[in-house]
Amino acid sequence: MKEALQAFLDRNLPLPGVAACCARLVDRTFVSHCYSDWFTTAQVEQSLSRLALAADSLGYHGIQPARLCWVFEHSRIHLTLRRDGACLAFFVENRPGVDNDKLQAVLEEFTRLEAP
Amino acid sequence: MSGETTKRKAFLFVDDDAGFLTGIQELFSEMARGKWDIFTAENHAQALALLAKLRVDVVVLDIGMPVMDGIQFLQLLGRTNPGQQVVMLTGEVTEERRKAALEGGAVLFLEKPVVADSYAAIFAALDALAGALPQGGFRGMMRRVGLQEVLQLECLGRKSSILEIFTGKVRGRIFISEGSIVHAESGVLQGEVALYGLLALRGGEFNLLPFAEPPRRTIQGQWESLLMEAARLSDEGQKFLEPDEPGFGAAEPGEVATAGALDRSAGQVRIEEIVLCSGAGEVLYEWDTKSLELRLRLLEQIEQQAAQLSSLAPVGRFDRLEIITPDGRIVCQVQPDRRLFVRSAGTKAAIA
Repeated sequence: MKEALQAFLDRNLPLPGVAACCARLVDRTFVSHCYSDWFTTAQVEQSLSRLALAADSLGYHGIQPARLCWVFEHSRIHLTLRRDGACLAFFVENRPGVDNDKLQAVLEEFTRLEAP
Repeated sequence: MSGETTKRKAFLFVDDDAGFLTGIQELFSEMARGKWDIFTAENHAQALALLAKLRVDVVVLDIGMPVMDGIQFLQLLGRTNPGQQVVMLTGEVTEERRKAALEGGAVLFLEKPVVADSYAAIFAALDALAGALPQGGFRGMMRRVGLQEVLQLECLGRKSSILEIFTGKVRGRIFISEGSIVHAESGVLQGEVALYGLLALRGGEFNLLPFAEPPRRTIQGQWESLLMEAARLSDEGQKFLEPDEPGFGAAEPGEVATAGALDRSAGQVRIEEIVLCSGAGEVLYEWDTKSLELRLRLLEQIEQQAAQLSSLAPVGRFDRLEIITPDGRIVCQVQPDRRLFVRSAGTKAAIA
């Protein structure tokens, strides 16, 4: 899936306002890109690990998330989860010009990517 | 028994200290010169059993009791015996306890005297309280009488009053001035948002109190329109809090939904669950929550996870988490002054 994912990201990114993206595959490896110097690869990968854990923990509360958006003061992190355990996060700046519809469409497409 | 003569005053003292009860019964019986009937109970179960059989003018409650403390029992009495006058008598006076007691409906908060002479002051206060005429206004349950009906009566009669409403978790007031609804408050909420939230409550208690000027007047417009709007929102299953619209994660941090948001989404979103807490974690409003404890734990967990994320990357202060599930959408907002959980169904995002 790594190649398919890479091609998918290359095809759809960068997008206005997206500072970084990071995907975690089923084998727990990461594919990440930082489009500005705001985030480092290590930061987004560590953050994604936390985000994935946090999403898992929602199950304890009877919540089965398909997509999440963590909204912070300076940015928001969109996370989408695939049934096979892979996940993709976009680190997006809080600024005008972000194409939210396009973002959602890309996240949606990620869930339909063919697994290896 | 109190019912034997109308002149006698009846008191129930509830305290887990049997020695104190014996002492106070002997002392006050002597001071009352036969004009008081004094009953005692060492726990809430005994007290409830007594109150089921007889009517007393005043219940005097200790606070520090095992199993159910006096403050909790006070709240329980508010439900089982609405209108019952309760005085708190405690050896451990703190401002927090005083506030909790008075907010819970106690009419007096007294300190247990450390010297015998001071009991005369307690006796005098209790005797005066039991002999006082009933206060103006009335007190009632709203299980059978809707709040809207009470408001209608007040407005139609062009009266001025304060409708105080409380449930176990929500406390609010609606101010009516010369037949117009001029202000409402419920926890941190004020204005129409608070009014609609209070009118959406499905059970609780109310007091109709004499009018006093509110801190500020936040509501304008005809009472008929306000009540119709409240009814419409209630009919639609809508409540006063609405997650921002329309896009997932599209609103700015710190945005607070208002009643106006309801118009935009009417027919598209169905709110299924709401929990609103103060920054300190006190539950201010709760609607249709299956497990309040679980929801509070979730908000706490999210706060911790957000703090971890903030420390990992330069994202800034946390505002909220939005979750799309197969059934709908959840918004969990954690702010210094409030925590909010809203679960809704029927959004386009959820279906997508």
